[in-house]
Amino acid sequence: MSVHLTEPENLVLQARDVRFDWSQVPLHWIPGDPVATHLVNVLHLLLPAGEEWFVRVFKEAVPHIADDRLREDVLGFIGQEAVHASSHDGVLDHFMEQGLDVRPFVRQAEFLFEGLLGDRNLTGDRKRAWLYERISLIAAIEHFTGVLGDWILNAEALDEAGADPTMMDLLRWHGAEEVEHRHVAHDLFMHLDGSYPTRLRAMAETITMLATLWHRGHRFLMAADPVVKGRIKGGVHHLRRTGPAGLTPDGRMVAASVRRYLKRSYSPLNEGSTSQALAYLASSPAAQAALR
Amino acid sequence: MRDQIPPDLRGRRARDPFWVAASALFNGVQRIRSLREPVIPAVKPVDRTRVMLVQEVRREAADVVSLRLGAPDGRMLPAWQPGCHLDVLLPSGRRRQYSLCGDPADRRSYRVAVRRLPDGSGGSAEIHDTLVEGASLTVSEPRNAFPFLVRDRYLFLAGGIGVTPILPMVQAAHRLRADWRLIYTGRSRDTLPFLDELPAERVTVRTDDEHGVPDCADLLADAAGAAVYCCGPAPMIDGVRAAFAPTGGATLHFERFAPAPITDGRPFEIELARTGVTLPVPADRSALEVIRDALPDVAYSCRQGFCGTCRVGLLAGDADRRHPGDAAPDSLLPCVSRATGGRLTLDL
Ligand code: FES
Ligand SMILES: [Fe+2]
Ligand SMILES: [Fe+2]
Repeated sequence: MSVHLTEPENLVLQARDVRFDWSQVPLHWIPGDPVATHLVNVLHLLLPAGEEWFVRVFKEAVPHIADDRLREDVLGFIGQEAVHASSHDGVLDHFMEQGLDVRPFVRQAEFLFEGLLGDRNLTGDRKRAWLYERISLIAAIEHFTGVLGDWILNAEALDEAGADPTMMDLLRWHGAEEVEHRHVAHDLFMHLDGSYPTRLRAMAETITMLATLWHRGHRFLMAADPVVKGRIKGGVHHLRRTGPAGLTPDGRMVAASVRRYLKRSYSPLNEGSTSQALAYLASSPAAQAALR
Repeated sequence: MRDQIPPDLRGRRARDPFWVAASALFNGVQRIRSLREPVIPAVKPVDRTRVMLVQEVRREAADVVSLRLGAPDGRMLPAWQPGCHLDVLLPSGRRRQYSLCGDPADRRSYRVAVRRLPDGSGGSAEIHDTLVEGASLTVSEPRNAFPFLVRDRYLFLAGGIGVTPILPMVQAAHRLRADWRLIYTGRSRDTLPFLDELPAERVTVRTDDEHGVPDCADLLADAAGAAVYCCGPAPMIDGVRAAFAPTGGATLHFERFAPAPITDGRPFEIELARTGVTLPVPADRSALEVIRDALPDVAYSCRQGFCGTCRVGLLAGDADRRHPGDAAPDSLLPCVSRATGGRLTLDL
């Protein structure tokens, strides 16, 4: 009898009740590297508003799903994203306590997700089309969250650089759940709409949006940081150093994943490893704290 | 206010020129695209259930039977992995979940085992009393809420019928040549199914009639560095969770089939204001379950009060809030919270 080491499949997705204690986490949680720290911190600024938007859009989609298993997946996804959003919110409060006032940028993220991408008071088919449009954007964004999740699970350079363990646990717990549920948004889009041109357009819009927000967010954080005080100008050009050093995702790795996304045969399940994600979740201090 | 263009990041201008431009561009594109009537493709329903034939019914212990299920035409079944369960739709319409306890390499039949629960809600009695060889059943695809991960040390803890998901895990651990142990607990030997399928040298049988009720710390005495997979009655799982410590990289794995049972619940009523109905909530059901009977598309997720997905507006009534996450005065988490008495009016 051969030994099967296949990836776990057909998982029931469940939200995990996690706890984090931020009180001991330093402002520059990658020691001595505020530039890399804030490149990752942009995530904390975008995620609460972004993931709450995922939850609202997916809740609206639930009644249209005609596949029991996909409905279960979507409900599990919603719960996981809701807990992600509130956990990153906790980091923002901690930033505020340390004198980093993030409110101006958070306000802009809220405008994007609640204003531009929010409800448009539509009815009938137009309402449905706007729903599908937003699901296509979420599917494209979830491609990146899955790729980033896989990256953070393997980002040993951050451990070697002495990155704060609580922050690493937040990022890896979140990244692991992103890997765990990476197929759901794509499955939902394919079930409801499935148009290939829409997928391409959603990816183009997502890349433009993420690149711009990352750039603006990093410039904002470097200027608002109470220690750096704008002495180093922020921007995504810093990725040219931090990417190859393994402290942030690397542009070439992300570009290669986008080329896979653009294929008609794309399957999110080919990105990242479910067993690695589940192994991390089994040992995550935050997820274990919630067992008790 | 959040849909108004925000101030710029330095607080110099009331409307950030970047967002003025981005909104004009995005809204312009949306407006041009909306000149054409949208075409909404029809959603194709997906049915993942299948009818299965009961090929064999076997008595495995005093009050346990196993069922072997196969496709009526003998064709291959969807693959599964240790930890998977099936949703079984009984002829009465009851829906129950049972762990697959056969060999995953057998692609032509599934095995599940069922203990008769005298005070259960009738699903197990229906199986014991009415299902015979040749009967048919509708089942879902296998799903996994208890995934088995590759490790070099395992401690399996099974309580009674909770041995079912553990059986294929034990076999997998054996094939992996891992170092594994199983502690199998129950009232007495004759109530423990599948003892004959387990290699005695790695299995400790611990019955209440010989050893007394087990202490969870004892069950975990050997847990350091192991992946602990625990399945059994809810008090056993809760006890193991409380006693577990992650020494030497140990991890704990268990399956949550259902939300925790409701403790000292009182019946009350919910009025769904927008739907225009009033429904009774019995003492042993959550408001969410009752709402779902009336509105099957209502969103929920954790059913334990921590994710916030099920939150609804509370228009009137006194809430008995049962989770720290349910603090906002004008909303309610119906998966856990109840009424102190009388009626709650919800914005649904
Ligand atoms: S379903 Fe998660 S809080 Fe109610
Ligand atoms: Fe997320
Ligand atoms: Fe996600």
